[in-house]
Amino acid sequence: MSVTASLSYFSRTALNGIVRSPFVHVIAVASLAIALVGFGLARMASAQLDRLMLALAGEVEMTVYLEPGTTPDKMAELQQALSQRTGGQTRVVSPAEALGRLSKELGDPGHALTSLEENPLPWSVEVTLPPLAREPEALKALADRVRTLPFVTQVDYGQEALERLTAIARALKLGSLIAFVLVFLTAIVVVSATLQLAIYSRREDIEIQKLVGATDRFVRAPFLIEGLLQGAVAATLACGALWAFAFFVGPKLAALFSFLDVGGPRPGIDPRLVLELFGIGAAMGLLGSVVAVRRFLRV
Amino acid sequence: MFHVTKAYPGDPPVLVDINLDVQKGEFVFLTGPSGAGKSTLLKLMFVAERPTRGQVLISGRNVARLRESGIPYLRRNIGVVFQDFKLLPTRTVAENVGFTLDVLGTPRELVRAKSLKALKSVGLEHKADVLPPKLSGGEQQRVVIARALVNDPAILLADEPTGNLDPRLTVEIMDLLCDVNARGTTVVVATHDASLIERYQKRTLRLERGTLVAEALGHKAAALMA
Ligand SMILES: Nc1ncnc2c1ncn2[C@@H]1O[C@H](COP(=O)(O)OP(=O)(O)OP(=O)(O)O)[C@@H](O)[C@H]1O
Ligand SMILES: [Mg+2]
Repeated sequence: MSVTASLSYFSRTALNGIVRSPFVHVIAVASLAIALVGFGLARMASAQLDRLMLALAGEVEMTVYLEPGTTPDKMAELQQALSQRTGGQTRVVSPAEALGRLSKELGDPGHALTSLEENPLPWSVEVTLPPLAREPEALKALADRVRTLPFVTQVDYGQEALERLTAIARALKLGSLIAFVLVFLTAIVVVSATLQLAIYSRREDIEIQKLVGATDRFVRAPFLIEGLLQGAVAATLACGALWAFAFFVGPKLAALFSFLDVGGPRPGIDPRLVLELFGIGAAMGLLGSVVAVRRFLRV
Repeated sequence: MFHVTKAYPGDPPVLVDINLDVQKGEFVFLTGPSGAGKSTLLKLMFVAERPTRGQVLISGRNVARLRESGIPYLRRNIGVVFQDFKLLPTRTVAENVGFTLDVLGTPRELVRAKSLKALKSVGLEHKADVLPPKLSGGEQQRVVIARALVNDPAILLADEPTGNLDPRLTVEIMDLLCDVNARGTTVVVATHDASLIERYQKRTLRLERGTLVAEALGHKAAALMA
Protein backbone atom coordinates (compact mmCIF):
# COMPACT_ATOMS: atom_id res chain seq x y z
CA MET A 1 0.00 0.00 0.00
CA SER A 2 1.67 3.15 -1.15
CA VAL A 3 0.31 6.46 0.06
CA THR A 4 1.49 8.47 -2.92
CA ALA A 5 0.00 5.95 -5.34
CA SER A 6 -3.32 6.13 -3.51
CA LEU A 7 -3.25 9.91 -3.40
CA SER A 8 -2.56 10.12 -7.09
CA TYR A 9 -5.30 7.56 -7.72
CA PHE A 10 -7.79 9.54 -5.62
CA SER A 11 -6.96 12.82 -7.36
CA ARG A 12 -7.23 11.19 -10.76
CA THR A 13 -10.57 9.68 -9.82
CA ALA A 14 -11.79 13.01 -8.45
CA LEU A 15 -10.68 14.93 -11.54
CA ASN A 16 -12.25 12.26 -13.70
CA GLY A 17 -15.51 12.75 -11.86
CA ILE A 18 -15.37 16.49 -12.47
CA VAL A 19 -14.58 16.02 -16.14
CA ARG A 20 -17.39 13.52 -16.52
CA SER A 21 -20.09 15.84 -15.20
CA PRO A 22 -18.74 19.38 -15.48
CA PHE A 23 -22.10 21.13 -15.28
CA VAL A 24 -23.05 20.15 -11.74
CA HIS A 25 -19.57 20.99 -10.58
CA VAL A 26 -19.78 24.42 -12.19
CA ILE A 27 -22.98 25.04 -10.27
CA ALA A 28 -21.45 23.93 -7.01
CA VAL A 29 -18.34 26.03 -7.51
CA ALA A 30 -20.45 29.04 -8.50
CA SER A 31 -22.59 28.87 -5.38
CA LEU A 32 -19.54 28.38 -3.19
CA ALA A 33 -17.84 31.33 -4.88
CA ILE A 34 -20.91 33.53 -4.38
CA ALA A 35 -21.01 32.60 -0.71
CA LEU A 36 -17.33 33.42 -0.38
CA VAL A 37 -17.62 36.76 -2.23
CA GLY A 38 -20.47 37.71 0.09
CA PHE A 39 -18.35 36.80 3.06
CA GLY A 40 -15.39 38.73 1.69
CA LEU A 41 -17.46 41.86 1.01
CA ALA A 42 -18.91 41.80 4.51
CA ARG A 43 -15.41 41.36 5.84
CA MET A 44 -14.09 44.30 3.84
CA ALA A 45 -17.02 46.50 4.83
CA SER A 46 -16.56 45.73 8.47
CA ALA A 47 -12.82 46.38 8.25
CA GLN A 48 -13.60 49.71 6.63
CA LEU A 49 -16.08 50.54 9.35
CA ASP A 50 -13.54 49.68 12.00
CA ARG A 51 -11.07 52.06 10.39
CA LEU A 52 -13.73 54.74 10.27
CA MET A 53 -14.51 54.33 13.93
CA LEU A 54 -10.88 54.38 14.85
CA ALA A 55 -10.41 57.60 12.95
CA LEU A 56 -13.40 59.17 14.64
CA ALA A 57 -12.37 57.94 18.03
CA GLY A 58 -8.90 59.37 17.41
CA GLU A 59 -10.46 62.75 17.76
CA VAL A 60 -12.15 61.84 20.94
CA GLU A 61 -11.58 64.36 23.62
CA MET A 62 -13.61 64.53 26.70
CA THR A 63 -14.51 67.98 27.96
CA VAL A 64 -15.44 68.18 31.62
CA TYR A 65 -17.29 71.39 32.55
CA LEU A 66 -16.95 72.72 36.04
CA GLU A 67 -19.25 74.57 38.41
CA PRO A 68 -18.74 78.29 38.50
CA GLY A 69 -16.71 79.31 41.51
CA THR A 70 -14.55 76.20 41.63
CA THR A 71 -11.35 77.26 43.30
CA PRO A 72 -7.99 76.73 41.53
CA ASP A 73 -7.08 74.30 44.29
CA LYS A 74 -10.08 72.16 43.63
CA MET A 75 -9.46 72.41 39.92
CA ALA A 76 -5.94 71.08 40.31
CA GLU A 77 -7.25 68.29 42.49
CA LEU A 78 -9.87 67.38 39.94
CA GLN A 79 -7.41 67.56 37.11
CA GLN A 80 -5.22 65.06 38.89
CA ALA A 81 -8.12 62.79 39.65
CA LEU A 82 -9.09 62.84 35.97
CA SER A 83 -5.59 62.03 34.79
CA GLN A 84 -5.49 59.12 37.13
CA ARG A 85 -8.86 57.83 36.23
CA THR A 86 -8.59 58.11 32.47
CA GLY A 87 -4.87 57.69 32.06
CA GLY A 88 -4.97 60.55 29.53
CA GLN A 89 -3.54 64.02 29.16
CA THR A 90 -5.48 66.75 30.93
CA ARG A 91 -5.46 70.46 30.52
CA VAL A 92 -7.40 73.18 32.32
CA VAL A 93 -9.06 75.59 29.95
CA SER A 94 -10.02 78.98 31.27
CA PRO A 95 -13.22 80.70 30.16
CA ALA A 96 -11.13 83.33 28.39
CA GLU A 97 -9.26 80.73 26.35
CA ALA A 98 -12.47 78.91 25.53
CA LEU A 99 -14.07 82.13 24.36
CA GLY A 100 -11.07 82.99 22.25
CA ARG A 101 -11.21 79.59 20.57
CA LEU A 102 -14.89 79.83 19.97
CA SER A 103 -14.68 83.23 18.37
CA LYS A 104 -11.88 82.02 16.13
CA GLU A 105 -13.89 79.02 15.08
CA LEU A 106 -16.86 81.17 14.27
CA GLY A 107 -14.73 83.54 12.16
CA ASP A 108 -15.87 87.13 11.52
CA PRO A 109 -19.17 87.02 13.34
CA GLY A 110 -17.31 85.60 16.29
CA HIS A 111 -15.57 88.90 16.92
CA ALA A 112 -18.77 90.08 18.47
CA LEU A 113 -18.17 87.62 21.27
CA THR A 114 -15.03 89.39 22.42
CA SER A 115 -17.08 92.42 23.17
CA LEU A 116 -19.21 90.62 25.72
CA GLU A 117 -19.16 92.19 29.13
CA GLU A 118 -19.07 88.98 31.02
CA ASN A 119 -17.68 85.65 29.77
CA PRO A 120 -20.55 83.13 29.86
CA LEU A 121 -18.31 80.10 29.48
CA PRO A 122 -17.37 77.95 32.45
CA TRP A 123 -14.00 76.63 33.42
CA SER A 124 -13.33 73.22 31.96
CA VAL A 125 -10.82 70.41 31.82
CA GLU A 126 -9.99 68.80 28.50
CA VAL A 127 -8.97 65.16 28.56
CA THR A 128 -7.25 63.59 25.56
CA LEU A 129 -8.10 59.95 25.96
CA PRO A 130 -5.61 57.15 25.56
CA PRO A 131 -6.54 54.54 22.88
CA LEU A 132 -7.69 52.02 25.44
CA ALA A 133 -10.42 54.29 26.76
CA ARG A 134 -11.71 55.10 23.28
CA GLU A 135 -13.95 52.07 22.94
CA PRO A 136 -17.46 53.49 22.87
CA GLU A 137 -18.58 51.36 25.80
CA ALA A 138 -15.58 52.24 27.92
CA LEU A 139 -16.00 55.88 27.02
CA LYS A 140 -19.59 55.94 28.14
CA ALA A 141 -18.78 54.25 31.43
CA LEU A 142 -15.97 56.69 32.01
CA ALA A 143 -18.17 59.69 31.28
CA ASP A 144 -20.77 58.39 33.72
CA ARG A 145 -18.20 58.06 36.45
CA VAL A 146 -16.66 61.47 35.80
CA ARG A 147 -20.11 63.04 35.99
CA THR A 148 -20.40 61.98 39.64
CA LEU A 149 -17.20 63.76 40.65
CA PRO A 150 -17.61 66.93 42.72
CA PHE A 151 -17.79 70.28 40.87
CA VAL A 152 -18.53 68.58 37.55
CA THR A 153 -21.59 69.95 35.81
CA GLN A 154 -21.39 68.29 32.43
CA VAL A 155 -19.30 65.88 30.41
CA ASP A 156 -19.06 66.07 26.64
CA TYR A 157 -17.63 63.68 24.11
CA GLY A 158 -18.42 62.58 20.58
CA GLN A 159 -21.18 60.55 22.12
CA GLU A 160 -23.91 60.60 19.53
CA ALA A 161 -21.84 59.92 16.47
CA LEU A 162 -19.89 57.17 18.13
CA GLU A 163 -22.88 55.44 19.55
CA ARG A 164 -24.67 55.49 16.26
CA LEU A 165 -21.68 54.15 14.43
CA THR A 166 -21.25 51.43 16.98
CA ALA A 167 -24.86 50.43 16.61
CA ILE A 168 -24.53 50.37 12.83
CA ALA A 169 -21.36 48.35 13.03
CA ARG A 170 -22.93 45.90 15.41
CA ALA A 171 -26.06 45.46 13.29
CA LEU A 172 -23.93 45.04 10.20
CA LYS A 173 -21.78 42.41 11.85
CA LEU A 174 -24.72 40.51 13.26
CA GLY A 175 -26.59 40.71 9.94
CA SER A 176 -23.63 39.51 7.97
CA LEU A 177 -23.01 36.74 10.46
CA ILE A 178 -26.57 35.45 10.08
CA ALA A 179 -26.43 35.82 6.31
CA PHE A 180 -23.09 34.08 6.29
CA VAL A 181 -24.37 31.12 8.29
CA LEU A 182 -27.36 30.76 5.95
CA VAL A 183 -25.24 31.00 2.82
CA PHE A 184 -22.71 28.63 4.34
CA LEU A 185 -25.39 26.02 5.00
CA THR A 186 -26.92 26.48 1.55
CA ALA A 187 -23.53 26.05 -0.08
CA ILE A 188 -22.98 22.85 1.86
CA VAL A 189 -26.32 21.54 0.69
CA VAL A 190 -25.49 22.40 -2.93
CA VAL A 191 -22.10 20.73 -2.71
CA SER A 192 -23.56 17.62 -1.14
CA ALA A 193 -26.24 17.49 -3.84
CA THR A 194 -23.63 17.60 -6.61
CA LEU A 195 -21.64 14.91 -4.88
CA GLN A 196 -24.76 12.84 -4.47
CA LEU A 197 -25.05 12.93 -8.24
CA ALA A 198 -21.39 12.04 -8.57
CA ILE A 199 -21.83 9.09 -6.23
CA TYR A 200 -24.88 7.98 -8.17
CA SER A 201 -23.13 8.16 -11.51
CA ARG A 202 -20.26 6.11 -10.16
CA ARG A 203 -22.28 3.53 -8.27
CA GLU A 204 -21.12 0.70 -10.53
CA ASP A 205 -17.47 1.58 -10.04
CA ILE A 206 -18.12 1.66 -6.32
CA GLU A 207 -19.85 -1.72 -6.34
CA ILE A 208 -16.94 -3.36 -8.14
CA GLN A 209 -14.34 -1.58 -6.06
CA LYS A 210 -16.00 -3.06 -3.01
CA LEU A 211 -16.09 -6.52 -4.58
CA VAL A 212 -12.38 -6.50 -5.28
CA GLY A 213 -11.52 -5.42 -1.77
CA ALA A 214 -11.67 -1.61 -1.53
CA THR A 215 -12.01 -0.19 1.98
CA ASP A 216 -14.71 2.35 2.73
CA ARG A 217 -12.06 4.98 3.08
CA PHE A 218 -10.74 4.16 -0.36
CA VAL A 219 -14.18 4.51 -1.90
CA ARG A 220 -14.91 7.76 -0.09
CA ALA A 221 -11.64 9.61 -0.49
CA PRO A 222 -12.14 10.73 -4.11
CA PHE A 223 -15.45 12.34 -3.23
CA LEU A 224 -13.92 14.21 -0.31
CA ILE A 225 -11.18 15.42 -2.63
CA GLU A 226 -13.81 16.51 -5.12
CA GLY A 227 -15.51 18.61 -2.44
CA LEU A 228 -12.19 20.05 -1.35
CA LEU A 229 -11.33 20.93 -4.94
CA GLN A 230 -14.68 22.65 -5.41
CA GLY A 231 -13.96 24.75 -2.32
CA ALA A 232 -10.46 25.64 -3.47
CA VAL A 233 -11.56 26.62 -6.98
CA ALA A 234 -14.41 28.68 -5.54
CA ALA A 235 -12.01 30.44 -3.16
CA THR A 236 -9.70 31.28 -6.05
CA LEU A 237 -12.60 32.75 -8.02
CA ALA A 238 -13.83 34.67 -4.98
CA CYS A 239 -10.36 36.14 -4.38
CA GLY A 240 -10.27 37.26 -8.01
CA ALA A 241 -13.70 38.85 -7.76
CA LEU A 242 -12.88 40.62 -4.49
CA TRP A 243 -9.60 41.85 -5.84
CA ALA A 244 -11.38 43.25 -8.88
CA PHE A 245 -13.89 44.88 -6.58
CA ALA A 246 -11.20 46.48 -4.45
CA PHE A 247 -9.34 47.60 -7.56
CA PHE A 248 -12.21 49.11 -9.51
CA VAL A 249 -14.77 50.11 -6.91
CA GLY A 250 -12.41 50.80 -4.01
CA PRO A 251 -11.07 54.15 -5.25
CA LYS A 252 -14.62 55.42 -5.76
CA LEU A 253 -15.51 54.46 -2.22
CA ALA A 254 -12.36 56.14 -1.00
CA ALA A 255 -13.46 59.34 -2.70
CA LEU A 256 -16.79 58.99 -0.93
CA PHE A 257 -15.13 58.77 2.44
CA SER A 258 -12.45 61.35 1.79
CA PHE A 259 -14.18 64.09 3.84
CA LEU A 260 -13.60 61.98 6.90
CA ASP A 261 -9.95 61.65 6.11
CA VAL A 262 -10.07 57.98 6.89
CA GLY A 263 -8.28 56.67 3.88
CA GLY A 264 -10.35 54.45 1.63
CA PRO A 265 -10.21 50.68 1.56
CA ARG A 266 -6.65 49.64 0.93
CA PRO A 267 -6.02 48.53 -2.62
CA GLY A 268 -6.03 44.76 -3.11
CA ILE A 269 -7.13 42.27 -0.50
CA ASP A 270 -5.79 41.52 2.87
CA PRO A 271 -3.74 38.29 2.79
CA ARG A 272 -5.54 37.25 5.95
CA LEU A 273 -8.83 37.46 4.10
CA VAL A 274 -7.37 35.27 1.33
CA LEU A 275 -6.47 32.66 3.92
CA GLU A 276 -9.93 32.88 5.45
CA LEU A 277 -11.57 32.46 2.06
CA PHE A 278 -9.53 29.36 1.28
CA GLY A 279 -10.14 27.97 4.74
CA ILE A 280 -13.88 28.53 4.58
CA GLY A 281 -14.09 27.34 0.98
CA ALA A 282 -12.28 24.14 1.86
CA ALA A 283 -14.43 23.67 4.94
CA MET A 284 -17.65 24.09 2.96
CA GLY A 285 -16.49 21.72 0.23
CA LEU A 286 -15.33 19.13 2.69
CA LEU A 287 -18.45 19.38 4.86
CA GLY A 288 -20.67 19.10 1.80
CA SER A 289 -18.87 15.99 0.64
CA VAL A 290 -18.87 14.47 4.11
CA VAL A 291 -22.65 14.98 4.26
CA ALA A 292 -23.07 13.40 0.82
CA VAL A 293 -20.79 10.48 1.58
CA ARG A 294 -22.46 9.81 4.92
CA ARG A 295 -25.95 10.00 3.54
CA PHE A 296 -25.63 8.47 0.11
CA LEU A 297 -22.64 6.21 0.12
CA ARG A 298 -24.00 3.11 1.75
CA VAL A 299 -20.96 1.02 1.17
CA MET B 1 -18.56 -24.75 6.16
CA PHE B 2 -20.54 -25.99 9.06
CA HIS B 3 -24.30 -26.29 9.08
CA VAL B 4 -24.71 -23.37 6.77
CA THR B 5 -28.23 -22.28 5.99
CA LYS B 6 -28.96 -19.31 3.80
CA ALA B 7 -32.38 -17.78 3.21
CA TYR B 8 -32.94 -14.60 1.23
CA PRO B 9 -35.47 -12.52 3.12
CA GLY B 10 -39.01 -13.61 2.43
CA ASP B 11 -38.11 -16.75 0.52
CA PRO B 12 -37.65 -20.35 1.62
CA PRO B 13 -34.00 -21.18 2.33
CA VAL B 14 -31.76 -21.43 -0.73
CA LEU B 15 -29.16 -23.47 1.12
CA VAL B 16 -30.03 -25.84 3.95
CA ASP B 17 -27.56 -27.19 6.48
CA ILE B 18 -24.56 -27.39 4.16
CA ASN B 19 -21.41 -29.01 5.51
CA LEU B 20 -18.33 -29.02 3.36
CA ASP B 21 -14.63 -28.71 3.65
CA VAL B 22 -12.18 -27.47 1.03
CA GLN B 23 -8.50 -27.97 1.75
CA LYS B 24 -5.93 -25.30 1.14
CA GLY B 25 -4.57 -25.73 -2.37
CA GLU B 26 -7.43 -27.97 -3.47
CA PHE B 27 -9.33 -27.82 -6.76
CA VAL B 28 -13.07 -28.42 -6.33
CA PHE B 29 -15.99 -28.43 -8.72
CA LEU B 30 -19.35 -27.28 -7.48
CA THR B 31 -22.16 -28.53 -9.65
CA GLY B 32 -25.92 -28.87 -9.70
CA PRO B 33 -28.90 -27.71 -11.71
CA SER B 34 -29.68 -24.08 -12.27
CA GLY B 35 -31.05 -22.45 -9.16
CA ALA B 36 -29.52 -25.05 -6.85
CA GLY B 37 -27.62 -22.40 -4.94
CA LYS B 38 -24.10 -22.64 -6.38
CA SER B 39 -23.65 -18.90 -6.79
CA THR B 40 -25.14 -18.29 -3.37
CA LEU B 41 -22.67 -20.68 -1.81
CA LEU B 42 -19.77 -18.84 -3.44
CA LYS B 43 -21.19 -15.50 -2.31
CA LEU B 44 -21.09 -16.69 1.28
CA MET B 45 -17.38 -17.30 0.88
CA PHE B 46 -16.45 -13.75 -0.12
CA VAL B 47 -19.14 -12.30 2.14
CA ALA B 48 -21.31 -10.80 -0.58
CA GLU B 49 -24.02 -12.53 1.46
CA ARG B 50 -24.08 -13.66 5.05
CA PRO B 51 -25.43 -17.05 6.09
CA THR B 52 -28.67 -17.09 8.04
CA ARG B 53 -27.16 -19.76 10.27
CA GLY B 54 -23.90 -21.62 10.52
CA GLN B 55 -20.25 -20.86 10.11
CA VAL B 56 -18.05 -20.24 7.11
CA LEU B 57 -14.42 -20.69 8.09
CA ILE B 58 -11.69 -19.36 5.83
CA SER B 59 -8.19 -20.01 7.11
CA GLY B 60 -9.71 -20.64 10.51
CA ARG B 61 -11.70 -17.41 10.65
CA ASN B 62 -15.46 -17.41 10.73
CA VAL B 63 -16.23 -14.91 7.98
CA ALA B 64 -19.96 -15.23 8.68
CA ARG B 65 -19.30 -12.96 11.64
CA LEU B 66 -16.61 -10.83 10.07
CA ARG B 67 -16.84 -7.10 10.82
CA GLU B 68 -17.75 -4.89 7.84
CA SER B 69 -14.37 -3.25 8.07
CA GLY B 70 -12.65 -6.63 7.77
CA ILE B 71 -14.36 -7.62 4.52
CA PRO B 72 -12.04 -5.67 2.17
CA TYR B 73 -8.99 -7.44 3.55
CA LEU B 74 -10.64 -10.85 3.11
CA ARG B 75 -11.60 -10.03 -0.48
CA ARG B 76 -8.07 -9.01 -1.39
CA ASN B 77 -7.12 -12.65 -0.93
CA ILE B 78 -10.03 -14.01 -2.92
CA GLY B 79 -10.29 -13.66 -6.68
CA VAL B 80 -13.84 -13.95 -7.97
CA VAL B 81 -15.00 -14.71 -11.50
CA PHE B 82 -18.55 -13.43 -11.48
CA GLN B 83 -21.22 -15.24 -13.42
CA ASP B 84 -22.54 -11.89 -14.62
CA PHE B 85 -19.02 -10.52 -15.29
CA LYS B 86 -19.43 -7.14 -13.54
CA LEU B 87 -17.23 -5.27 -15.99
CA LEU B 88 -17.38 -1.49 -16.21
CA PRO B 89 -18.53 -0.58 -19.72
CA THR B 90 -16.89 2.86 -19.72
CA ARG B 91 -13.42 1.67 -18.76
CA THR B 92 -10.95 -0.13 -20.92
CA VAL B 93 -10.25 -3.80 -20.47
CA ALA B 94 -6.89 -3.05 -18.85
CA GLU B 95 -8.49 -0.57 -16.46
CA ASN B 96 -11.11 -3.13 -15.49
CA VAL B 97 -8.43 -5.66 -14.72
CA GLY B 98 -6.40 -3.04 -12.86
CA PHE B 99 -9.27 -2.29 -10.49
CA THR B 100 -8.15 -5.14 -8.28
CA LEU B 101 -4.73 -3.54 -7.91
CA ASP B 102 -5.93 0.06 -7.65
CA VAL B 103 -7.72 -0.65 -4.40
CA LEU B 104 -4.44 -1.91 -2.94
CA GLY B 105 -2.73 1.40 -3.67
CA THR B 106 -0.49 -0.09 -6.33
CA PRO B 107 1.41 2.53 -8.35
CA ARG B 108 -0.13 3.27 -11.73
CA GLU B 109 2.67 1.92 -13.95
CA LEU B 110 2.78 -1.32 -12.00
CA VAL B 111 -1.00 -1.68 -12.31
CA ARG B 112 -0.69 -1.32 -16.07
CA ALA B 113 2.17 -3.81 -16.33
CA LYS B 114 0.51 -6.44 -14.17
CA SER B 115 -2.83 -6.02 -15.91
CA LEU B 116 -1.22 -6.59 -19.30
CA LYS B 117 0.48 -9.68 -17.98
CA ALA B 118 -2.80 -11.07 -16.64
CA LEU B 119 -4.49 -10.29 -19.94
CA LYS B 120 -1.72 -12.09 -21.79
CA SER B 121 -2.36 -15.20 -19.71
CA VAL B 122 -5.95 -15.27 -20.97
CA GLY B 123 -4.86 -14.41 -24.53
CA LEU B 124 -6.29 -10.92 -24.63
CA GLU B 125 -3.34 -8.54 -24.44
CA HIS B 126 -4.24 -7.18 -27.86
CA LYS B 127 -7.60 -6.00 -26.50
CA ALA B 128 -6.19 -4.12 -23.51
CA ASP B 129 -7.43 -0.70 -24.61
CA VAL B 130 -10.83 -1.75 -25.90
CA LEU B 131 -14.05 -1.12 -24.00
CA PRO B 132 -15.74 -4.31 -22.72
CA PRO B 133 -19.01 -3.87 -24.66
CA LYS B 134 -16.99 -4.28 -27.86
CA LEU B 135 -15.84 -7.74 -26.81
CA SER B 136 -17.58 -11.04 -27.37
CA GLY B 137 -19.10 -12.87 -24.42
CA GLY B 138 -16.18 -15.25 -24.25
CA GLU B 139 -13.66 -12.41 -24.38
CA GLN B 140 -15.46 -10.59 -21.58
CA GLN B 141 -15.41 -13.76 -19.53
CA ARG B 142 -11.66 -13.99 -19.95
CA VAL B 143 -11.26 -10.37 -18.87
CA VAL B 144 -13.11 -11.24 -15.67
CA ILE B 145 -10.75 -14.15 -15.12
CA ALA B 146 -7.76 -11.88 -15.65
CA ARG B 147 -9.18 -9.43 -13.12
CA ALA B 148 -9.66 -12.22 -10.58
CA LEU B 149 -6.10 -13.48 -11.03
CA VAL B 150 -4.10 -10.27 -11.46
CA ASN B 151 -3.61 -10.06 -7.72
CA ASP B 152 -2.36 -13.67 -7.24
CA PRO B 153 -5.12 -14.45 -4.73
CA ALA B 154 -4.90 -17.33 -2.25
CA ILE B 155 -8.39 -18.45 -3.21
CA LEU B 156 -10.11 -18.32 -6.59
CA LEU B 157 -13.89 -18.62 -6.81
CA ALA B 158 -15.06 -19.08 -10.40
CA ASP B 159 -18.76 -19.01 -11.17
CA GLU B 160 -19.31 -20.62 -14.59
CA PRO B 161 -15.94 -19.42 -15.88
CA THR B 162 -16.36 -21.24 -19.18
CA GLY B 163 -20.06 -20.64 -19.70
CA ASN B 164 -19.54 -18.54 -22.82
CA LEU B 165 -16.48 -20.20 -24.29
CA ASP B 166 -16.06 -22.55 -27.22
CA PRO B 167 -14.54 -25.98 -26.46
CA ARG B 168 -11.03 -24.95 -27.40
CA LEU B 169 -11.06 -21.83 -25.20
CA THR B 170 -12.77 -23.78 -22.44
CA VAL B 171 -9.83 -26.14 -22.33
CA GLU B 172 -7.39 -23.23 -22.40
CA ILE B 173 -9.09 -21.46 -19.51
CA MET B 174 -9.44 -24.65 -17.51
CA ASP B 175 -5.76 -25.36 -18.03
CA LEU B 176 -5.04 -21.85 -16.82
CA LEU B 177 -7.09 -22.48 -13.68
CA CYS B 178 -5.23 -25.75 -13.13
CA ASP B 179 -1.92 -23.89 -13.51
CA VAL B 180 -3.01 -21.36 -10.93
CA ASN B 181 -4.04 -24.22 -8.66
CA ALA B 182 -0.71 -25.94 -9.19
CA ARG B 183 0.98 -22.76 -7.96
CA GLY B 184 -0.90 -23.11 -4.65
CA THR B 185 -4.15 -21.24 -5.13
CA THR B 186 -7.27 -22.93 -3.82
CA VAL B 187 -9.78 -23.07 -6.69
CA VAL B 188 -13.54 -23.57 -6.51
CA VAL B 189 -15.32 -23.75 -9.87
CA ALA B 190 -19.10 -23.72 -10.11
CA THR B 191 -20.29 -25.31 -13.34
CA HIS B 192 -22.99 -27.50 -14.79
CA ASP B 193 -20.76 -28.64 -17.63
CA ALA B 194 -20.46 -32.42 -17.12
CA SER B 195 -17.73 -32.72 -19.74
CA LEU B 196 -15.47 -30.52 -17.66
CA ILE B 197 -16.00 -32.65 -14.62
CA GLU B 198 -15.29 -35.74 -16.65
CA ARG B 199 -12.19 -34.35 -18.23
CA TYR B 200 -10.61 -32.92 -15.11
CA GLN B 201 -10.73 -35.58 -12.45
CA LYS B 202 -11.31 -33.39 -9.41
CA ARG B 203 -13.39 -33.62 -6.30
CA THR B 204 -16.94 -32.62 -7.19
CA LEU B 205 -19.67 -31.39 -4.87
CA ARG B 206 -23.21 -31.65 -6.11
CA LEU B 207 -25.92 -29.29 -4.91
CA GLU B 208 -29.60 -29.89 -5.46
CA ARG B 209 -32.32 -27.64 -4.18
CA GLY B 210 -30.05 -26.25 -1.50
CA THR B 211 -28.60 -29.44 -0.11
CA LEU B 212 -25.36 -31.22 -0.78
CA VAL B 213 -26.51 -34.51 -2.33
CA ALA B 214 -23.30 -36.11 -3.49
CA GLU B 215 -19.59 -35.81 -3.31
CA ALA B 216 -17.51 -37.79 -5.77
CA LEU B 217 -14.50 -37.80 -7.99
CA GLY B 218 -14.64 -37.03 -11.68
CA HIS B 219 -16.22 -39.98 -13.54
CA LYS B 220 -18.74 -40.88 -10.93
CA ALA B 221 -19.90 -37.32 -10.56
CA ALA B 222 -20.25 -36.95 -14.29
CA ALA B 223 -22.17 -40.18 -14.43
CA LEU B 224 -24.52 -38.91 -11.74
CA MET B 225 -25.25 -35.84 -13.79
CA ALA B 226 -26.23 -37.84 -16.87
N1 LIG C 1 -30.42 -11.83 -4.18
C1 LIG C 1 -31.36 -12.80 -4.14
N2 LIG C 1 -32.53 -12.56 -3.54
C2 LIG C 1 -33.49 -13.53 -3.49
N3 LIG C 1 -33.32 -14.75 -4.00
C3 LIG C 1 -32.17 -15.07 -4.62
C4 LIG C 1 -31.12 -14.10 -4.72
N4 LIG C 1 -30.09 -14.66 -5.37
C5 LIG C 1 -30.47 -15.90 -5.67
N5 LIG C 1 -31.71 -16.15 -5.21
C6 LIG C 1 -32.44 -17.41 -5.32
O1 LIG C 1 -31.63 -18.43 -4.78
C7 LIG C 1 -31.71 -19.60 -5.55
C8 LIG C 1 -30.32 -20.08 -5.88
O2 LIG C 1 -29.68 -19.12 -6.71
P1 LIG C 1 -28.19 -19.28 -7.21
O3 LIG C 1 -27.88 -18.07 -8.02
O4 LIG C 1 -27.33 -19.55 -6.04
O5 LIG C 1 -28.30 -20.56 -8.12
P2 LIG C 1 -27.19 -21.21 -9.04
O6 LIG C 1 -27.02 -22.60 -8.55
O7 LIG C 1 -26.02 -20.36 -9.11
O8 LIG C 1 -27.91 -21.26 -10.45
P3 LIG C 1 -27.27 -21.05 -11.91
O9 LIG C 1 -26.65 -22.35 -12.29
O10 LIG C 1 -28.43 -20.72 -12.79
O11 LIG C 1 -26.29 -19.95 -11.83
C9 LIG C 1 -32.54 -19.27 -6.77
O12 LIG C 1 -33.80 -19.88 -6.62
C10 LIG C 1 -32.68 -17.79 -6.76
O13 LIG C 1 -33.97 -17.41 -7.17
MG1 LIG D 1 -25.11 -19.19 -10.49
